This record gives sequence, C-alpha cells and structure tokens, in this order.
Amino acid sequence: MNQMHKLYVHPLPVRIWHWTNAISFILMILTGVQIRYIGMVNLMSFKMAVDLHNLVGFVLIANFFLWFGFYLFSDKIKVYHPELSPMKHFRDSFRQMMFYGYGIFRGQPNPHHVSVYHKFNPMQSMTYQIIMLLLVPIQFYTGVLLWDVEMFETGVNLFGGVRVVDTVHVLLFIFFSAFIFIHPYLASLGHTPTAHFKAMFTGYEEIEDEPAGH
Amino acid sequence: MISACIKAANFTRHLQFIVAFSIAFCLAGIIPAHAATGALSPDDKNCLECHGQEKFEKPMADGETLSLHIPGKAFAASVHNPVGCAGCHADIDLKKHPQPSKKKVTVRENSIAMVQVCKDCHDDKFKLYEGSIHARLLRDGNDAAPLCSDCHSPHAVRPNTAAAPMTEVSCRQCHAGIYKVYAESVHGQARGKPGGKAAPLCPDCHKAHEVKAASSGDQIKDACLTCHSDSLAVHKSWLPNAERHFEAVSCPACHAPTAKRRVNLRLYDSVAQERVAERQGVPQFESRARSADTKGLGLDALALQSLLKEFNREGAESKTILRGRLEVTSGPEAHQLTEKTKALKECDTCHREGAAAFQTVTISIVSPDGRPVHYGAQKEVLSSATSVESIGGFYAIGATRIKLLDVLFVLALLAGVGVPIGHMTLKWLFRKYRQKLQAELQAEAAKSDSQPSTDGDANSSNSPKQ
Repeated sequence: MNQMHKLYVHPLPVRIWHWTNAISFILMILTGVQIRYIGMVNLMSFKMAVDLHNLVGFVLIANFFLWFGFYLFSDKIKVYHPELSPMKHFRDSFRQMMFYGYGIFRGQPNPHHVSVYHKFNPMQSMTYQIIMLLLVPIQFYTGVLLWDVEMFETGVNLFGGVRVVDTVHVLLFIFFSAFIFIHPYLASLGHTPTAHFKAMFTGYEEIEDEPAGH
Repeated sequence: MISACIKAANFTRHLQFIVAFSIAFCLAGIIPAHAATGALSPDDKNCLECHGQEKFEKPMADGETLSLHIPGKAFAASVHNPVGCAGCHADIDLKKHPQPSKKKVTVRENSIAMVQVCKDCHDDKFKLYEGSIHARLLRDGNDAAPLCSDCHSPHAVRPNTAAAPMTEVSCRQCHAGIYKVYAESVHGQARGKPGGKAAPLCPDCHKAHEVKAASSGDQIKDACLTCHSDSLAVHKSWLPNAERHFEAVSCPACHAPTAKRRVNLRLYDSVAQERVAERQGVPQFESRARSADTKGLGLDALALQSLLKEFNREGAESKTILRGRLEVTSGPEAHQLTEKTKALKECDTCHREGAAAFQTVTISIVSPDGRPVHYGAQKEVLSSATSVESIGGFYAIGATRIKLLDVLFVLALLAGVGVPIGHMTLKWLFRKYRQKLQAELQAEAAKSDSQPSTDGDANSSNSPKQ
C-alpha cells in the first residue's frame, strides 16, 4: 500500500453543520414516521412527535443557513463549482459509476482524488447541489407551510392545497429516508470503512500518496 | 312569497289597526293605567266574557276547529295587554260580531293571515324572519313551517326579561328530539340549574327569527365563539395548527365525543368565497352525482373528479372546489355537547389509519331552501392519489394519507437497506477474485522490480531526459 498523508478538507463549520444535519435528519425521519404512522409505530405520543418535528425542523433551517453562509463567504465554495463541460462531467460521472458498480469489486483504485477544493467526486458534486439547493429548500418550505397552514394559507393555496403540500413533503421524506441509509454506506467505501467518518470529525482526510511516475 | 300569502289582509284593516293603536297609546298615555297594574281594560273584559270560556271554538271549512279561547290571566300578564284585543283584531266589527266568515278555510290559513298583524308592529323581526329557513320552508309550501303564532302564543307573550323555564322554549314543539338531547347536554344541564340563564337556549345559538340551516354555514361556530371567546387562544396553547382545526373541524366533532362523525366535502365557490348553492328550480347536484356514480356505490376518486369537472365546465363563471370538514352526522348529535374535560383531546383519535371519523364521506351542496344536500362518497377517496387535486384542501395526517406514498416509502426503505447489503454481498463474493487480481498485480510488480538493475540504472541515467 502507498504511503498516506493527511489533508484538511472539512473545515469546522462544515463539520458542525454536517453532524447537526445528520442527527436532525434522523430525528426528522423518526418523528415523521411516528406522525404519519401512529398506531403502527409507537415511539412517542403524536403530540410529542409533532412538537419535536417542528422544533428540529427549525434547527435544520438555521443549520442550513450556517452551511449556506459559510460557503457563500469563503473560497471553499469552489468545492461546489459545477463542471462547465457537460461532456467531461458526464464522462467523469460515468467513470465514477463504473468504479462503484464494477471497479470496486476488482480492487481498482477510486478514480476520484481528493484535494482541498475538489473533495467531491463528480456524482457527489451534482447530487449534493441538487439536494442542498433544491430538495432541502423545498422540504423546508413545505414543512413551514404545514407548520401553520392558516398563517401561510397563500403559499398553501399556490401549491393547490394542504394535501398537495403534504404530498410533496412526503415524497421528499421518502427520498431522504433512502438517502440516510445509502449515504453512510458510500461513506464507508474509503480506504478503510471508517476513514471518511473519522475525517468528518477531525477535518483531515487520509490521502494515498501518488505512486511515483503518476 | 310570504307577502303574497299574507296580503289577504287588506289595507283597510291596516288603517283600522293604526287608529286602534293610536287610541290605545297616544290618548291614554304610554301604558294604559289598567295595564300597569296587570288588569284588563273594560273592553277586553267584555271580549273575555265569551272568549274566556274554555272550549270556546269555531269549526273551519275544512273540518278543523279553531280555538277562540283566551286565557284571561295569561293575557293580562302578557306584553300585549296594553294593546288590548282591538289592537290586533281591529277588523272585528262589534256591531256585527260574531259574523260568520267563510274566507279562511283552515286554522293555518287563519294563522298566516294573522302574521300581517304581527308585522305591523314587529316589522324588524319580520324582516329577519323572511330570510330564515322557516320562512323559506313556508314559501316552499311546507305546512309545518312555523308562523309567528306557532312560537309566540300571541295572547300570552311574556316580556323578554321574564325568566321562563327552558321547557317552555317553543323550538321543542317541532324539534323535540334535539331538545331532549340538548336538555341532557352541558348547556341544557347548566340552563336547568337555578340561576342558569347564562347558559344558552336554542335562540342564543340559532337566533330566534333569522334562524338558518345549522350545517349550512359558519354561524353556529360563530355562536360558540361568541360565548367561548377565548377558545382559540386556549386551543392554541396545546393544539398544533389550532386555527386550521377550527376551520376544518366542527366544534361538536370533539366536544360531543360520543357522536358519530363524518367528512363532509362541501362544494365551494372559490371566486365568490361561499358554498355553492343549487339554483331555484334547476337542481343539478343529485343528477350529476348519480351520473358520475355509475356503480351506485358512492362516488370514487375518479367520479369525484368528473363531478367537479361538471361544475367547472367551460363557461362556468365560478371555480368550484371541494372544502372538506369534519362534522357530526346529525342535528341531535351536534347537541350532545359535554364538559370540556370530556372532549376529545387525544390527537390519535383522528390522526390514525382507520379512525372512525373518516369512515363516512359525503359531498354536499346547499339546496335552495338553505339546507345542505348530501351525496355519499367512498371513504377511499380520502386516501387515493387520484384525489390529490380534487380534495387538495383537505388532509388529516395519518388518517387520510395517500396509500401510494406508503408503497413508495416501503420501496425506498428496501432500496436504502438493500443497496448497501447487495453491494456488500457482491464485494464479499468477489473477494477471492479481487485477491487473485491483487496477487497478479503484485507478482507483476515484483517481476518488474526483479528486472536487471541496468534497467534501473539506465532509467536513472536517463531521468533528466524524462
């Protein structure tokens, strides 16, 4: 195995945001399941689940702005810069997919090499932008509408009514429920199963030294 | 029109009334001296010589009997004592009295004619009455529709301030079933206690003269909130989305916990901001609902869509939507109000799959007489993905959740758990193949390392050229 060196790729605000987000998402999913399936699931009372869901929801919204503010006002936003060449992006994404779907079973190296401003592989880069800039805000917006349907009646009516708002909210809840399982699994596919988890606590990713001649 | 019914009383009688009234009040002072002491005037005493006799009556042309008996004591104590007999019966010519009259065939016809007399003094109340459900029923020819004299015995009308036992409320004559439930309710119990006049009696919530069909609008909810003015604030302290609950759930749905509940999907004009009403003479709702309900099992989600389309056909001036509301199924049940400590407060009574409140669903429109007309729908419309648009405004978490989303959720969970397990399994299955490849690679690397050192030297020597 090649030598490893450490690279600081996860600044403190990002780590705080990430773990707050992770815990909050799990709480939102659990309380969401409790609210939607009371009678089948009995972790807590309906009322407590609603109150907790509302509280954690607002924590998540505040946390989102921590993330947004950090990236907006620091040069780390480069990690989210999109690949301007669609062909290159598609080619790199396909290469990454081939790694997870085929190369990893053959023991091939990960085609993506982490650097300070390039910590996401092409698939992650695209997925996280869609999640953070589209899906998460929609989930927050529909959540706030459902939090007080009468106060935000205009917004609710723009959607077509409370049932439509709820349907959008639940569809995203379904997506995030699957994501919360798949995300940690993908995170376990580092050079050791715990490497990326440790990095998200310490901020330092362990990077394999490039073999000579590469 | 009622006016058409009662215009049988002619203008001459009106003039006679004014003369009699003027004599009674203007000449004799505001209250005649005899009335102030609760005594009858000499003229009235003369009348009562005959009319004070019990079983004094006359046969009507249709065979009915009209009682002509006036209880003297009650009349003397009534608010009409100052007016005197002639005040209302100014058309009677004492010289020719009793004169046989064939004009009025029935007792009811006589009562309808006498409404005009009441109107002469109580015009403000009459105007309110004209807009009521009672007057609408009268206009529709309903013989049971109450007239002034049906609620107010004209010869024994008591002053508003007089304490009367609740059992004397006139509403119970027609609404006996509801009265019985009311009497046992928290309101009836409180009203029945000494000093319980603050507790509401029928007219306090339904209004005495402008009474509307109770389930047609928000007037009853408004009546509740008139006395219970802090109830929204109280509910907000523990009930999430309290204002929404107030909008979509009727008060008795929780405060009459033993009542049977249902979802009423009201046809609502979102442009005019009011419930859709059938036009007089052109009822369309039932025929449209029946034609949409091809199997006769109640409207399903597709039939509901098709019914809404009918109401929103091209050219329709309004935009008809469905506004759902949780309510009790009948008038008596709406009066089973209990102490607030016994009201439903557990969220999961309603917010769970199979909750009793969501097992019955109806669609309703307001009929020309102001009462709602209902048509049954299948309960599955509340959980169908097809209904997302048609009943977009009604949703109860847990109870009316869309089944298709539940299926998607299970699939997502299976994918969320299955993809990592599948991937891990494949990695495990390929481990020997991977080890073999790694070994081959290492062997190749070792082989290249074991090449004559001259190569390395050559490379070293050539490195500047690289």
